Amino acid sequence: MRLLTAVLRTVRDSRRLATGLVILALMVLLAAFSPLIVHSIGNGNDPIALAAYQKWLVPSSDHLLGTDQFGRDVLAMVVSAMSVSLQIGAIAGVISTVVGVIVAFVAGYKGGWVDGVLSTFTGILLVIPTFPLLIALSAYAKNVSLFQVGVMISIFSWPFAAKTIRSQVLSLRSRPYVDLARVSKARDLEIIGTELLPNLLPFIGVGFASSALGAIFGLVGLEVIGLGPGGVIDLGQIIFNAINTGALTLGAWPMFVVPIVLLTLLFAALNMVNIGLEEVYNPRLRGVAGE
Amino acid sequence: MTATAPPAEAVEASAESAPRSGLRPWLSRHPLAAYALRRFGLYLIELWGALTVAFFFFRMIPGDPIQTLIQTLQQNYVYNQQASAEVIARYQHEFGLDGNIFTQYLKYMNNLILHGDLGPSLINYPTPAQNVILHSLPWTIGLLGISAVLAWVLGIIVGAVAGWRRGKAGSAIITNLSIALSHVPFFFVALILVYVFAYSLGMLPARSAYDSNISPGLSPAFIGSVLKYGLLPGLSIVVIGAFGWILSTRMLMVPVLGEDYLTYAEAKGLKPWRILTRYALRNCYLPQVTAFGISLGFIFNGNVLVEQLFNYPGLGTTLVTAIQQLDFNTILGVTDMAIFSVLTAVLLLDLLLPLLDPRVKYWK
Repeated sequence: MRLLTAVLRTVRDSRRLATGLVILALMVLLAAFSPLIVHSIGNGNDPIALAAYQKWLVPSSDHLLGTDQFGRDVLAMVVSAMSVSLQIGAIAGVISTVVGVIVAFVAGYKGGWVDGVLSTFTGILLVIPTFPLLIALSAYAKNVSLFQVGVMISIFSWPFAAKTIRSQVLSLRSRPYVDLARVSKARDLEIIGTELLPNLLPFIGVGFASSALGAIFGLVGLEVIGLGPGGVIDLGQIIFNAINTGALTLGAWPMFVVPIVLLTLLFAALNMVNIGLEEVYNPRLRGVAGE
Repeated sequence: MTATAPPAEAVEASAESAPRSGLRPWLSRHPLAAYALRRFGLYLIELWGALTVAFFFFRMIPGDPIQTLIQTLQQNYVYNQQASAEVIARYQHEFGLDGNIFTQYLKYMNNLILHGDLGPSLINYPTPAQNVILHSLPWTIGLLGISAVLAWVLGIIVGAVAGWRRGKAGSAIITNLSIALSHVPFFFVALILVYVFAYSLGMLPARSAYDSNISPGLSPAFIGSVLKYGLLPGLSIVVIGAFGWILSTRMLMVPVLGEDYLTYAEAKGLKPWRILTRYALRNCYLPQVTAFGISLGFIFNGNVLVEQLFNYPGLGTTLVTAIQQLDFNTILGVTDMAIFSVLTAVLLLDLLLPLLDPRVKYWK
């Protein structure tokens, strides 16, 4: 209950955060209804089937965004691709946030050599360039599924979340009210759950948004080099197709402009959530100091 | 879980155990030296750890680079029969792939640390991998380095003005634009730029790093060509990079704008420009230089996607080719270099900061 009120209060306090969340919610809705939308575009047929229509049709009332080199409806492709991109963000975001939070709490709360070992390990993972590793993983892992790619991406994105949250745990740990809870014989888990977590929510949110952002872009990047998971179409793959089939020279602009605009909107929304949260826990950033 | 309170100050897991004879008292009298020693120890541990993780990670990938090499040779009609076991063994020895993984690891680290040798590369056999990397390094450093500097300078200037004139319409637009666009991948902007300038208008080239009709050299024609070909990829990095710096500069500056010393400076009748640069921006200089140093360390990753899109002969393109051909030595070389440069940049900044900023405490 306290968690819920903390969340609601946070959202109400920041217009930027609210804007970002609203855009995200709209996109999630669009993704949730994507099967329905795709179905209605196809009028009973599958608009994403190969040779469903003629290839390279220009945008018209029948096909709002035209068709691609295989005669697939671009609008239907983009809508379903967006849900794939959101899924990967959610998968990787959840995994890396959970791992990051656990590591950060253990390190920050226990301190001592445990903290030393965990922090050093986090530091090591942070400096290894992730993209080459990701390319290598996906190029040779046979028939990777979307979920597996999500797990791979989270392997490299939890250290960032862990680092952000750990520094906060350290500063919160020494606050008087935590000492008070400790003196009153509250258990470690109880202190973490009731005293620390509510105050750390913004940071956990930042960790989640950053990981999701990184994962979505990671998948786009893999697709652009032509190394994405098989059997699913995400926004990156549409862009990759557009580059490789010469859509740029054919003037089939919707094929790469629309995915890019959607992804940009998604990145913008996640970033607004990030900045909004930062402004919530650091009110001085709102630029009202001394006004 | 017990309810025992952890000690108020975390015990430092010291990286090197100092002998008791005289060093410890001396260190306690010189906190800065103690800090530097400890920090350097941590640097060595992290460097070793990261190199090791990278080595084992890439070795775990299934695939046989030797077979790949022999197939390549067969395709090029250099070698038109089945490779004998001796040939394979010979190649394995040369690429450091013989013996079990631990002997390989020891041999690799030994060659890397003592001789700076990465072993032969597969994509350009028998050229050593370090030469292949050195060959593509200037392009990446040139393209990304110059773009990074431009983005940083531009971002600081615009960010400072946006923070200073906060509440004005233009400043709000710039701030919101930065928030929206600072995390958009360079690659998207690059694609749009290519579409507009290279295809629609046909003004600028979209592939490679210079005109292949001009022979490389220090001639004005060649340099002009390099600049012309680097304009689009560079521009995409500068535009998006600048948004990030605008945002961070503003975030560092806004909190101090209500401070008394600024009011005092204004009351003294100082010119606004002077107040901005000498007083308000004081808080930004150090963190921004620090952040810039770290971001320069990341340049050595090469921007894989942008380089791929423009077919730019930098590190990123080399890396992708190397991965496609299972060229372990080159892949590891690029990765090791990126690791080394980032860690070293952070180390240098951590060592310099306490000397520059009195507020930074170097003891725990």
